[in-house]
Amino acid sequence: MEQNVELLLDICISEMQKGKSIDECIANYPQYANQLKPLLQLAEQIEDLPLPTSSFEALSSALINIGKEMEQDTAAIEIPGALVPSQRDVLPPKGFASPMKKWKSFFFLNIFRKPGIVWALSIFLLFAVIFSATTISANSVPGNILYPLKLVTEKVKFLLTFDSYGKAELRLRFSDNRLNELVTILQQSNKLDTTLLKDMLDEAKLALSENKIPVNKASIFSDKLSSVNAYQKAVLENIRPEVQTSDRQIIDEAINMCNMRSRWMRRMMDEEHQEQFYEPDSTHQTDTQHRKKSKPKRMQWGPGCDWME
Amino acid sequence: MKSKAKDLTDEELHQIVEKAKAKDNRALGRLCEHFYSKIYRFIYYRVNSIEDAEDLTSEVCLRVVKSLPEQKGLFYAWIFRIASNLITDYYCRRAVRSNVAINEDLVEEMADEKRTTTELLEQQELRQAIKHLTEEQQQVIVLKFIEGYETDEIADMVGKSAGAVRAIQFRALTALRNIFASDMPIRKDKTV
Repeated sequence: MEQNVELLLDICISEMQKGKSIDECIANYPQYANQLKPLLQLAEQIEDLPLPTSSFEALSSALINIGKEMEQDTAAIEIPGALVPSQRDVLPPKGFASPMKKWKSFFFLNIFRKPGIVWALSIFLLFAVIFSATTISANSVPGNILYPLKLVTEKVKFLLTFDSYGKAELRLRFSDNRLNELVTILQQSNKLDTTLLKDMLDEAKLALSENKIPVNKASIFSDKLSSVNAYQKAVLENIRPEVQTSDRQIIDEAINMCNMRSRWMRRMMDEEHQEQFYEPDSTHQTDTQHRKKSKPKRMQWGPGCDWME
Repeated sequence: MKSKAKDLTDEELHQIVEKAKAKDNRALGRLCEHFYSKIYRFIYYRVNSIEDAEDLTSEVCLRVVKSLPEQKGLFYAWIFRIASNLITDYYCRRAVRSNVAINEDLVEEMADEKRTTTELLEQQELRQAIKHLTEEQQQVIVLKFIEGYETDEIADMVGKSAGAVRAIQFRALTALRNIFASDMPIRKDKTV
């Protein structure tokens, strides 16, 4: 009989777990109702007990311990006798998403653990520093820390330019840079830097010596050279009263050179114009023939410029 | 009374266990996370403090990881047997068996603000009364009513027949009824 009650109690508990009430369950077994009811009430009370929950830290700690255990096992299998690194003792292996670790994975510094990102950032920073220094050095003058960088940058730009027209343009820009530096130093120290003046004229001369400029760009280059020449001459004339009397002769010679260059430029342009007008076939000349023909007409940087030599 | 839902089907559990056996860390982590709370509750009703319950639960997880390659049969039965053995070891080590003192922390943790003081006291008495039961009775009561396992499943876990489990269940509930019926004072610091 007791076995029957045990079985009936179990059946009633199962039915209650499926949603039936105590009375509904025992209604089928009225002869055992008095015996079953208090037991079922107790069962219901036990089920209603609030579930104890473990602490978050305890679960994390358990997972970390498991991770540590697994790391040791792996080390023992893969590298017999090898010591497990101290960090591995603390951190669980991949796959153990410890709740305490989940939020940490969003911490931005974690990106620096990836070598690829570190390399990319390093290269980016290097370029940023170089770019910033180059930009700042553009306004530097002789005597400044960044001035050598400015000169190196100019040389690099020149070396990386492969066509004659580009090289000639760069020469003109460098010539302009020297003039600006000369003016800045004159304003700062009231002293004429003859080296800069010489470099300015040299760069312009070297621009003219670029003899492989394509025919279609020759007129554009001539215009640029004319405007640079006119600008430089105007600036030199402006600063002339400000320089010391002993230096004025040098300024005069430089102005004179600018004048000579202007005249030479005008003559060259006139001759070219006449050639195009009277010799239509000249357009069919090869580039080499054209350069051979124009070479003797180049300006001679002649006497009167001893200070430049 | 409602059956406590299981969040993993037998098939899903089997797949996770197989992956964990094949050294899949993710599967092993999921397995431990899934069983941690169940084991914790199982141990909680049978030890004296939250700290002990947490330590033992952590120890069970470690033993599971170590012994997983040799695991055979039903996984949940195996894992609860490990927990049960550890509880036995725990009492052997401390030479205090079934200390009925209920830690104040346990009461605080389980206190539900929505419940009345009378209800809380009744719950506390009920928990203390459960601790007066024998070890196997406590085991069956927790697995049946706290964890919601079926009688057949409990039989696998405790290594007895379904009939034996029903008998234990019946005797456990009868013992609890007798405790309350006799209005037996539940001593808080009694060591049985």
